[in-house]
Amino acid sequence: MEYDADVIVIGSGALGNNAAYELAKQGKSVIILEAGKSIPRWKITENFRTSPRKNNYNDPYPNAATAPTSFAKDYIENTGSFAYLPGMLKLVGGTTWHWAACAWRYLPSDMKLKSLYGVGRDWPISYDDLEPYYCRAEEALGVSGRSDEDQSGQGRKHFPPRSKEYPMPSDGINYMTSRMNDRLGKLGYRFVQEPSARPTNQPYDGRPACSGNNNCMPVCPIGSMYSGDVHARHSVKAGAKLLTEATAFKLEKGSGNKIEAVHYRTAKGEDKKLTARYFIVAAHGFETPKLLLMSDVANSSDQVGRNIMDHNGLAIQFLADEPLWAGRGTVEEACIVNMRDGNHRRRYAASKHNIGNAVPNMAVTERLIAQGIFGKELDERIRHDAARWVDISSMLETLPMPSNRVIPHPTKRDALGLPTLSVHYDVPAYTEAAKDIIMRDYRRIAAGMNGSIVNEVSEWQNHDHIMGSVIMGKNPADSVVNGECRSFDHPNLFLATTGVIPAAGVVNPTLTGVALAIRTADIIAREV
Amino acid sequence: MRPFSHRLASVAGLAFCVSLSAVASAENSQTSMPANPPVVVQKNVAAASATKGFSSDLERGAYLAKAGDCIACHRGNADNAPPYAGGYAIASPMGSIISPNISPSKIAGIGTYSEQDFSRALRKGIRKDGAYLYPAMPYTAYAGLSDQDVHALYIYFMQGVAPVDEKPQAVTKLSFPFNLRLLMSGWNLLFLHDKPFKNNPKVSDEINRGHYLVDTLAHCSTCHSPRNFFMAESRRRYLTGTSVGGWYAPNITPDETEGIGSWSEEEIARYLKTGHVNGKAQAAGSMAEAIEYSLRFLSDADLRAMAAYLKTVAPQNLTGAKQSRFSFENKTPAHLVDVEPVTSRTAMAMSDAGSVDGQLLYENACASCHGRNGEGTADHFYPSLTHNSATGGLVADNLVMTILNGIERKSNDGIAGMPSYADELNDSQIAAIANYVISRFGNKAIPPVSIQQVADFRANKSTPALLMRMMPWLLSGAGFIFIVVMLIGFFRLKSLFKKRPSH
Repeated sequence: MEYDADVIVIGSGALGNNAAYELAKQGKSVIILEAGKSIPRWKITENFRTSPRKNNYNDPYPNAATAPTSFAKDYIENTGSFAYLPGMLKLVGGTTWHWAACAWRYLPSDMKLKSLYGVGRDWPISYDDLEPYYCRAEEALGVSGRSDEDQSGQGRKHFPPRSKEYPMPSDGINYMTSRMNDRLGKLGYRFVQEPSARPTNQPYDGRPACSGNNNCMPVCPIGSMYSGDVHARHSVKAGAKLLTEATAFKLEKGSGNKIEAVHYRTAKGEDKKLTARYFIVAAHGFETPKLLLMSDVANSSDQVGRNIMDHNGLAIQFLADEPLWAGRGTVEEACIVNMRDGNHRRRYAASKHNIGNAVPNMAVTERLIAQGIFGKELDERIRHDAARWVDISSMLETLPMPSNRVIPHPTKRDALGLPTLSVHYDVPAYTEAAKDIIMRDYRRIAAGMNGSIVNEVSEWQNHDHIMGSVIMGKNPADSVVNGECRSFDHPNLFLATTGVIPAAGVVNPTLTGVALAIRTADIIAREV
Repeated sequence: MRPFSHRLASVAGLAFCVSLSAVASAENSQTSMPANPPVVVQKNVAAASATKGFSSDLERGAYLAKAGDCIACHRGNADNAPPYAGGYAIASPMGSIISPNISPSKIAGIGTYSEQDFSRALRKGIRKDGAYLYPAMPYTAYAGLSDQDVHALYIYFMQGVAPVDEKPQAVTKLSFPFNLRLLMSGWNLLFLHDKPFKNNPKVSDEINRGHYLVDTLAHCSTCHSPRNFFMAESRRRYLTGTSVGGWYAPNITPDETEGIGSWSEEEIARYLKTGHVNGKAQAAGSMAEAIEYSLRFLSDADLRAMAAYLKTVAPQNLTGAKQSRFSFENKTPAHLVDVEPVTSRTAMAMSDAGSVDGQLLYENACASCHGRNGEGTADHFYPSLTHNSATGGLVADNLVMTILNGIERKSNDGIAGMPSYADELNDSQIAAIANYVISRFGNKAIPPVSIQQVADFRANKSTPALLMRMMPWLLSGAGFIFIVVMLIGFFRLKSLFKKRPSH
């Protein structure tokens, strides 16, 4: 049989493009399908600059009817107690256009949650299996960071173990982190630098060094921060074919349980079909299970679309008693990681406090105007408060629950006539159990900075980190893919999405997703 | 593969010398093999070859190899290729010239070369097997090297470089008639002035040292001197600037307005070491490579000597430039309301990337680093576009080339970089940005950049390529040159034979 390609990758985000690039580099013929368009960075920057909604991270990105983002009206319907509405984009490069580039590794213990702490699930692979791919992912994304810190917050030496240092050094500790560390360190809080997929002191892979625009979200205006469009370009230069405005809507089964073809719909509504030896679905944590469910494939376990996890969040804002000048460097500079690991995980969720480093002027100004402050006093107060503003948001671990679920919407259709999404999400009790502890911790931190509290956010927040939706495991009865990210049902179908992650940890899963995607590409390259 | 057209300019010049093949053939028939002139032992000039600070010829040779920028061409293609493995492709309109392996491997490199063979290749452009090198190898500059330095280089290449027993996979295959290496013999007769460098007793040792480095190892004039009709360097217009592979190598004579007369010696030396002088200029293209592979490794004393010498070159202002290219300012700051207009929020408008509004494009593609008013960052990590030779010169070539190709320059104070915009912006957009930048931050006397110019730069259709396209007509019109050159060649040959010492 003649195939259109060795491998078809569905989705041109960071994960799909990294897999595509590795395969194309090894001489495989690759086609990448992308629902959205290819848009140059300057255009997104223009859309951001002219946007009246600067804190809506999806706003600079076109919301085409034929490629709706997650914030398109009614695109995601929520039926659970928590409205899970992650930022999700559809364009070449995917949603990493507006991540903050926090490129963490998971801890070995994250991957053995069940055996160590008796909750959740273990990963079917170990940290050691993934470690070499973490190195490759860090090189692909150009991560800068400190190799000498204990990122687990348990008073160890450098941890987790790494066989190579970060490709680039961190850009150092900014004034805010250094002052907070001075004062809160005495109370036992352990700060670590955020590893960041962003060149610090030199260009990297055609990207310039960060110039401190402090605008990682919603768009890095200079393309210093990594986003998936980098590897879209690399893939095309390595020979891959990239088809835009091509929304996959059906995977077709062939003989021997293999997937034989993908059907996609163009923006004009034409349906087309492509065949390949192997398929990688890399279409985001929600859209991937949607495609599988629409195609009625890979679901003998009935777990496709179930077990969805986020890092549900809490937050506090306070004004410290001294100027700290948030905003120097990237929007994410430092974290407090004391509760990232430890025996408490038997009882309640692990967590990590992110010290927000975005320039806070917008939030500060909105608050002051709401208080009726104007004119010269407003200018003075903006300067005063923005210098002292501390915004801490926390990410909490969640556990996979089959009832937390995404499905193709039973009735609603988008402009292409394809189902929208329906999501049911309740925050797991394991996560709820940590809430009071976190809120108490916030007050202790605020007191440590002699701060006056502005706002305590005890309503759960989205953190856009979709995991579990096509869960990975050892047992075909309760998992969608195995440790290779290969479907238990179809030997030539692989999934490259953070949706495979079976134990959530508390860190941005993108680097882990890329590491898994590169590993998947290696496995496929040996077979195809 | 990057174009090194500045060196290939001279290869293009070969076309004019096709007729010389007759001379070469004549020579061939007389001597049965290409002329194999023995190395003339020259009485050499001590000041030029500073020997201080080196414990051995090996060590000095390593330094001189850096100064000669040998690795820039004789590198392999892979990042981890062993030094001097060769294989780097030097793009030319006639085909790629593949740099050979010059490691001391006896089977793949120059391991069988005697010092005389080595010297002949370096200073006369002739391989051990008698074949002529293309002037992609700057032997016309190396011809002035002292015997001591050639000796040290020989020791280094034989003892200090690890042999690589593998030849580059690709081979040089130029189109006819340029595949006839013998053509070079005729060109050499005319343009290879293989005299050793001579000290000028009237100037200081430092200036002599600088002169020696500038003219031999660093081969500055290869790029910075315009070329004559035969594509040989013009001596009269020494270092007055010219186009090289799309980039413009500017006037570096000490003329106050057109040259670098406004630079201090310290600034020139700093530029050679780091690739930039804030508020004046930064290196890109092949100059960035020269700094990355060669100049930054030179001693401060040598860099200062080169600077001192450059300040003594005859200043020339050939264009009547009235204002130094480093001095242009932006006198009309842009206002936010002008550069961030209210725009449509429809999906169609938000994904329409076709604008050719220079101001809008600059604001969104460039201003995040270079500033809304071209001011750059305070530390010049991102340089200002005012007070910048790329925007204040006579042509916009370097501005357009930088937008198209970006910059990556490793130097002694870090790696500087700008991304390439070739994929993000089309020719019209790049022209619009360039014209906006020039009109606001640079020399308004620069003629506007046309879309076609950008297209030509993108396709690397620079001056030599244009000449190549004219070649059929030039060749047919070159009948009389044929005869003239035959005669010149004949007399040159005769005089050469006379000068040969007997062995």
